[in-house]
Amino acid sequence: MARILCTVPPLIGHLNPALAVAAALEARGHIVAWVVHGDRVGSHLPVAAQRYPLGAYDEAVAERYRALRGPESLRYFHEEYMVRMARDSFDALEAALLDFRPDLLLVDQHMVAGALAARKHGLPWVTLAATSAALMAAAPQFEDWLRQLLLHLQEDLLPSELHRARPDLSPHGVLVFSVRELAEAAGERAMQPCFYVGPAGSAARREIEFPWEWLNPNVPAVLATLGTVSRDSEPRFFEVLFDAAAALDIQVVAVAPEALAVKAPANVLVQPYVPQPELLQRMAGVVCHAGHNTVCEALAAGLPLALAPILGDQPYVARQVIAAGAGIPLRFGKVSVPVMRAALERLLSDAVLRTAAQRLAEALHAAPGAAGAADVIETVLAGDPTVAADAVPASGG
Amino acid sequence: MDNDNASDAVLAVVIDTIRATVSEDWIEDYEIGPDTRLSDDLDLESIEVVKLVEALQTRFAGADLIGWLSGKTLPELMGLNVGMLAAALRGD
Repeated sequence: MARILCTVPPLIGHLNPALAVAAALEARGHIVAWVVHGDRVGSHLPVAAQRYPLGAYDEAVAERYRALRGPESLRYFHEEYMVRMARDSFDALEAALLDFRPDLLLVDQHMVAGALAARKHGLPWVTLAATSAALMAAAPQFEDWLRQLLLHLQEDLLPSELHRARPDLSPHGVLVFSVRELAEAAGERAMQPCFYVGPAGSAARREIEFPWEWLNPNVPAVLATLGTVSRDSEPRFFEVLFDAAAALDIQVVAVAPEALAVKAPANVLVQPYVPQPELLQRMAGVVCHAGHNTVCEALAAGLPLALAPILGDQPYVARQVIAAGAGIPLRFGKVSVPVMRAALERLLSDAVLRTAAQRLAEALHAAPGAAGAADVIETVLAGDPTVAADAVPASGG
Repeated sequence: MDNDNASDAVLAVVIDTIRATVSEDWIEDYEIGPDTRLSDDLDLESIEVVKLVEALQTRFAGADLIGWLSGKTLPELMGLNVGMLAAALRGD
């Protein structure tokens, strides 16, 4: 039985897999405590879980991020969100570590303070990579810039002998909630060896009502969603989708603000929230923003995707799906009605896309999920020397 | 005047190459000028910028556009516009 301290940023897509892994560890008799922004995610934790609160979370920073696009959103996320949160959280994380005395830390890749605290105190730790995109080396200019940013952060918090080029990736183990067949489809390799455990944690969601009787089982249906981050941001994309769908003999369920329902044609159902995993079982294709969770859920259901990435890592996730043969690209801010219509038709008719999606579904179902993650963590706890070698030092990039 | 004509010619080739590289319906009518930004205005992703630069490099064998691009920092890359590409091709 081990004591494990888990820390994740207050983002639901990062919290869900961590909760699933924690539950798997607890089922094996380990004790898991949490260092999180309690006001944001405290209600999602198991009632009995021991928790250490992090300081105030600046919602305005997350708000601004949602309004950004493309590379500027990536810069902002790393600089204003991730690194700033690391500075704000480091003292609280260190205090939690000294109080709880864990045998191991579970640290979300973007919760860098947890990684630095573990390194400072010489404790084993495992990285939780909620998205496969951040494991691949980006364009050299971006990678240089990110390493400088992380170096400056480490200079303020750690003695120089503990600095690393990529302090967010644990030398003891990196758990990725995706599969190699998808993450490495574009020919890229992760910056260091990873354990691809597949998706974990979507089962823990709350019940959501859905008018199932609306769906005609004899007409092919498409789910259109921009995820929780961007759902309310841009009506244009949905308006184009509505116009494109109106001319086709299909059904579309659009996850969009209710205010847009008045603009929807009869064959489009607008719902602010949907029970996504269950609904996907009734769909034939998906139009989305290439958010990591939605992509994995759609592919697990064997569905091809039309991908209109908006911000952050979404362009990279989209590229993986397209390279794996299961997706077609859309340009979010520019897509026209004819292009959208062609994409919808192809989603429903292209057998090659569907076969690729079904192949990825097999890989996702074969992945070990939270139980596999717990296996890796127990191996690290047992001190397996194959995962204990330390990463490259910061100098030399 | 000759210089201006040459500038216009390079700019026109850059704009044509952008339309050909993107090759989507909206780009045909999209007004592109020297101040049009590749990322913020045209929504080009980094790999598309690389594709565009490679296409221009093929067209202007004498220029070292790929070398010029690799010397850019992240903020400079994010602010790239059509006029900057044309200036780099002219060797300004």
